Amino acid sequence: MAKAMLNDVNKCIGCRACQVACKEWHDLPAEQTTNRGTYENPPDLSADTWTKIIFKEYSNDGTLRWLFRKEQCMHCTNAPCVNVCPSDALQRHPTLGFVTYDRHKCTGCGYCVEFCPFDIPRMDKESNKLLGTGLMGGKCDFCFDRVSNGLEPACAKACPTGAIKFGEWEDLVAEGKQRVEALKENHPDANFYGEHELGGLHMLYVLDEKPEVYDLPVGPQMPAAATALNVGEWTGVGLGLLVGGGMLGAAMLARARMIEGKKEEESAED
Amino acid sequence: MKLCGGTAAGAALLGMLGPESFAEAAPIDIPLRKRIGEKTSICCYCGVGCGVIVASDENGKATSIEGDPDHPINQGALCSKGASLIQVTNNERRLDKVLYRAPYSSDWEEVSWDWAIDKIARNIKKTRDENWTYEDERGRIVNHTEAIGWDGSAVVNNEEAYLFTKFARALGITYLEHCARLCHSSTVAALGSSFGRGAMTNHWIDIKNSNCIMIIGSNAAENHPLAFKWVTEAMEQDAELISVDPRFTRTSSKADTYARMRSGTDVAFIGGMIKYVIEDIEGHPENYNMTYIKEYTNATLLVDPGFKGPADLDGLFSGYDPAKRAYDRSTWVYQLDEKGIPKRDTSLKDPNCVFQLLKKQYSRYDVDTVCSVTGTAKDVYRKVCETYAATGKPDKSATIIYAMGTTQHTNAAQMIRSYSMLQLLLGNIGVAGGGINAARGQSNVQGSTDHCVLYHILPGYLKTPHPEDVDLEAYLKHYTPTSNDPLSANWWGNYDKYIVSLLKAWYGDAASASNDFAYEYLPKVEGDHSHIAAAEAMNDGIIKGFMSPGHNTAVSGPNANLEREWLGNLDWLMVSDLWESETAAFWKRPGVDPAQIKTEVFLLPAQASMEKEGSITNSGRWSQWRYKCCDGPDMARSDLWMVTELIKKVKELYDTEGGEYPDPILNLAWDYGDPPDVHKVAKEINGYDLEAGELLPSFTKLKSDGTTSSGNWLYCASYTEDGNMAARRDPTQTPEQANIGLYPNWSWCWPVNRRIIYNRASVDLDGNPFNPDKPVINWHPLRGKWEGDVPDGGWPPMSQEGTKLPFIMTSEGRGHIFAPGTLLKDGPIPEHYEPWESPVGNLLSNTQSDPAVTIWKSLVKGDASKYPIVATTYRVSEHWLAGQMTRNLPWLVELMPEMFVEVSEELAEEKGIENGKKVIVESARGKIEAVAVVTKRFTPFSINGKRVHQIGMPWHWGYMGLSKGDSANVLTPNIGDANTTIPEYKAFLCDIMAK
Amino acid sequence: MQKTEKEKGIFASIFEPIGDIIATFIRDALFDDPGRPGVRRFSLQARVFHWTIAGLVILMGITGLILFVPGWGAIALAGWTRIIHRLCAYAFGVVLVLYFITYPKASLAFVKEAFTWKKEDIGWLKAATDYYTGGDESKMPPQGHINPGQNLWQLVTIVCGVIFFVTGAILCFAKGAVSPAVFQWSLFTHALAFIIGSSMLIVHAVLGALHPRMSESLRSMITGKVSEEYAKSHYGKWYEEISKQQ
Repeated sequence: MAKAMLNDVNKCIGCRACQVACKEWHDLPAEQTTNRGTYENPPDLSADTWTKIIFKEYSNDGTLRWLFRKEQCMHCTNAPCVNVCPSDALQRHPTLGFVTYDRHKCTGCGYCVEFCPFDIPRMDKESNKLLGTGLMGGKCDFCFDRVSNGLEPACAKACPTGAIKFGEWEDLVAEGKQRVEALKENHPDANFYGEHELGGLHMLYVLDEKPEVYDLPVGPQMPAAATALNVGEWTGVGLGLLVGGGMLGAAMLARARMIEGKKEEESAED
Repeated sequence: MKLCGGTAAGAALLGMLGPESFAEAAPIDIPLRKRIGEKTSICCYCGVGCGVIVASDENGKATSIEGDPDHPINQGALCSKGASLIQVTNNERRLDKVLYRAPYSSDWEEVSWDWAIDKIARNIKKTRDENWTYEDERGRIVNHTEAIGWDGSAVVNNEEAYLFTKFARALGITYLEHCARLCHSSTVAALGSSFGRGAMTNHWIDIKNSNCIMIIGSNAAENHPLAFKWVTEAMEQDAELISVDPRFTRTSSKADTYARMRSGTDVAFIGGMIKYVIEDIEGHPENYNMTYIKEYTNATLLVDPGFKGPADLDGLFSGYDPAKRAYDRSTWVYQLDEKGIPKRDTSLKDPNCVFQLLKKQYSRYDVDTVCSVTGTAKDVYRKVCETYAATGKPDKSATIIYAMGTTQHTNAAQMIRSYSMLQLLLGNIGVAGGGINAARGQSNVQGSTDHCVLYHILPGYLKTPHPEDVDLEAYLKHYTPTSNDPLSANWWGNYDKYIVSLLKAWYGDAASASNDFAYEYLPKVEGDHSHIAAAEAMNDGIIKGFMSPGHNTAVSGPNANLEREWLGNLDWLMVSDLWESETAAFWKRPGVDPAQIKTEVFLLPAQASMEKEGSITNSGRWSQWRYKCCDGPDMARSDLWMVTELIKKVKELYDTEGGEYPDPILNLAWDYGDPPDVHKVAKEINGYDLEAGELLPSFTKLKSDGTTSSGNWLYCASYTEDGNMAARRDPTQTPEQANIGLYPNWSWCWPVNRRIIYNRASVDLDGNPFNPDKPVINWHPLRGKWEGDVPDGGWPPMSQEGTKLPFIMTSEGRGHIFAPGTLLKDGPIPEHYEPWESPVGNLLSNTQSDPAVTIWKSLVKGDASKYPIVATTYRVSEHWLAGQMTRNLPWLVELMPEMFVEVSEELAEEKGIENGKKVIVESARGKIEAVAVVTKRFTPFSINGKRVHQIGMPWHWGYMGLSKGDSANVLTPNIGDANTTIPEYKAFLCDIMAK
Repeated sequence: MQKTEKEKGIFASIFEPIGDIIATFIRDALFDDPGRPGVRRFSLQARVFHWTIAGLVILMGITGLILFVPGWGAIALAGWTRIIHRLCAYAFGVVLVLYFITYPKASLAFVKEAFTWKKEDIGWLKAATDYYTGGDESKMPPQGHINPGQNLWQLVTIVCGVIFFVTGAILCFAKGAVSPAVFQWSLFTHALAFIIGSSMLIVHAVLGALHPRMSESLRSMITGKVSEEYAKSHYGKWYEEISKQQ
């Protein structure tokens, strides 16, 4: 049964236990940061920061709100990163459904960084731009090891208010949509995000404002270039084999016919 | 063509050599990257007391720390600080040497433990002997020294705190304090004078039972996130959340109603709510629990007709002496009948009954006036009143969660009293989902307060003797309340049993009936010896030696620049901490020349919470046992060990060399083994039947004849012959208990494991719960006993013979809407006063600020003409208190890297302040630099038509640590509450400018 | 006794020329023997340039192929494939620029030739299928310096080369500096150039090295010369011109 996590922004208090729990479990180091005039830190995801809370002061028809949203890999069912990864470093887990990442297979091409509709993967800071020695630094791995061993992901466990729930995808979709209905009374724009996007996300969101308010793309798609590449890859291979085969065939045929021709000549001369 | 075919076949073959043959298939499951621990501890940060589990490697170093999924409060969750715990124990910045700074030196030098203990003990002896007073100038035996001060700690285990207080009293120390003074001392005074016990009445999980939660003077989502877990649970059951705060906080972001309120105007805010409730009670008594109001509170009691309040006396109460800045409280008493029992008017109409006095007082707090004072929008205010008052119904409950926003004011005790009164009128005390939830902010500040590492109280909230209390009899007469009312349990009537048992615990056989149970050994204290007073004493050169374990006064003290300067007047200073704190390093702080500072400093490396064993008490009064889970730096020691080594050495010195009045030291019982066994200390705290040689099962067995001992009567029943109750991890509950999340078998709480105190007020006169859906206790008529929680006094229901009133710790047995007699110094009912530094005049009266507050010598007052902006201090979720426990942790510094100040967009525009750029904030006491966070969450107030700006800043920063910054307390005034001198950190004046 | 052509078999006819390359390269390529009989077709610098570029292109092609074929990337050796690919790309650029600077006339002539197309090229196209599958030689009209197939190849190398450079630079350096859409389509275009270019490269390699009709082709890129017979039969018009010049 496919697993998922449900992020309920309405329950999130922005405490960032999830940010630290993720670092604690994966032994990720802290980054150097400064106060840029906001509580939000670090400023961006990175090879060392796989999840973070986005803070936003939002004025909705005069009522002030302070919005918090957890940002991390969305573990799409039809993940563009999995699609374009040349070395299968990024793969979809066949039963649990999330996107796994094997750093040992990463070629450092950076395609995942550019094809992700949510702008999540980040290259390792140590990458040498000229040589291209860097690898994709890491992303939320759904605490694959914990889930494999019957535990919940570190962030879901740490969340004080239960804003992050872990469970079966279907169950969480049902629960999330119920919650959205309950929220609509005070938050008419409440919506459920992740049921259908990219084949279904394994990071589901109960939102109490429109997705764009929370800086989420509306209706994200598999990038057209990725689909084009898919087509190109297979036709390219096919074409190459065809051309190669064809040319070798022509050469061998030519040789055979030339030998025949010579024999005819020789026998004609005789 | 066959060649083409062959080629095609070759192509297909190649195609089949797909990914699987080149790469290993992706795994379906993988092993855990590290072990998750099985050793349990309790988080060392706030007072929620979350459980954690620790795994460690073969070298004893922690490898993972996570939440304990079995713990009923946090259920495996943690906040960002708890999640970072592993960086407390595994951190290169941890002190791993015993350090010594010689006078005038500019560096630390490394010394050995033996050397340090020896030197400190000699210092103690020398200072004590040179500054010992046996008899004061009026010939009264005082047995004390004023020259040694002690401040700390709220983060050590109960057993350690207990030994601190025992050690300090044995030495005759008068200036004995710890951070509770600065954070919740006003709570103890206010709740104690309202209900009889100065502690949180319910507990964290119970919050889920509430219908309405008002978070005022607290930012629970920020600073008690796991308490907010239970707020969230309540909201899932349709509870309303009201957030009252000058700033829109993380708590406000989740609230149904956010009410802005200028810092320091709580009494006005609540006073208006009380007016609303009183009028509604009169108009619609059927919506309120009149039984509760009339029987369980003192609303019906008649007060001395000589009593006059602010309505008549322009902000003052009867008996004020302006020269002394104090009240003669002889009119603040009840009228007594011929039996000596307070008179009552059950119709609530007598003009001298408490109810009518209340009505008169708060009739001046109409919505217009209140909102002019507080700056709240009127429609929002009315909504708050209606929503909250709706819980006055017998089957509804509301709880108030408050913290420093309330406690740190010059009239803080009165603010908290106003919450108590409101809750009593609504019948919300003693019921599930009700109560006053004083959110304590340190892992064991409750425990350290219970063990009374405070000058004015002895363990169990017994009073420190005054020089006038010449002997035990005089002492008991002074403090034991009496009641002639057979309905009043007057539990403090058992005072003698507790003090005698305490003395037996401390002095063993050296305390007997023949020597007044060694009563003379106790130091007698007169006058204010609280933190601010101690700082002034340091300034005056009275305090010469100072011991500060686990306390960072250089950052947390008000008017921090002065406190830092005055540390330089000391001859010697001992600090124990996990880190090189600002206090330890005060002599090399920026801007001073160490060569001018004479103080000899000892910095002792201490063990962190998960590196030692013992119990701590959370805000909900749960004493939880925690274990040693891993090792810290080699040189670090527990405070239990340190204080034991010190007393050993001091005893040795007095034994061999003699000195001033050595008896309290030489006769002090201190047999815990070597190294000291924390269990032995815990057992001493519980107490023994000395004749049988057995641990006592409860404080009901304590005696005043010297046959029992107990280090702290409140904790009697925590370690019995049945075992260590605080170590229990049993989640079983009856269905009734589970319904309200009582968890009576998990850990142990005081008193006698009673989880919701005053719970006999949750039932009607026949013993049936007012709220049948969420009963706390109910009377089982056939079995003739109570079921559910431990009843607050096992007497039968009020309608039966032999019953007692439910508030057993008050002298008349009822909840104090009116706090009579000498319980409080500045009034029996709250009156609004402006903070000491305020930009506006008091709209309620001409008494500008609390008239009973002590004005200290060194106090500097800022004027609104120069400093027109209201400032307040607060915290962030990611940092903790004085910051040495979080500003040394990389993960937390990553989240909150720099000192900042929050400024409204309007003020930023006026002053040309840009978001993210540096600013300077200045008050009459100093100036600091910070990053400006320009935000919509502060907006200017309109106070009586005048535009008043407010800014706020966290106070976590200091000049040491991984993340350094200026301390907000450089700005705050060293003036405190009238009752407890808790400093007014939360409302003062400042100015701000772009750097 | 030497085996006849027929008896040598298919594999011999593929591997024998490779063996030839190695042997004759050592013997012939490094020593530009003016006494050797034949017609000069390629200068020493042109040959060195060709083989250097060929080597780099093949390396880039193989490493690129590994990153391109779905699933093969797993052997991409944790980034080494990409590093080799990029190093070869940088070397390719350097070699190209150096050659342009050193031999500007020849370089420009190459480019001009690639874009020069005539009506007569249709005649080659009509005859090509039969000719290259062993049909009657005489049906192929006489050709100039290069035949249209080779002309096409030159054009493809230039066009694909430019595309590779531009998109490659984006993929290499502009991550984050351009919008994701630009990057994504650069990747696709890079792949498209690879498909077209490598298809043509297969044609070029097979014809140049293995095809019996172009038997002296490979040797000529090593020694620089073709026999007079070969020149006459394959590049008749060009042979006439250069004979006139002498």
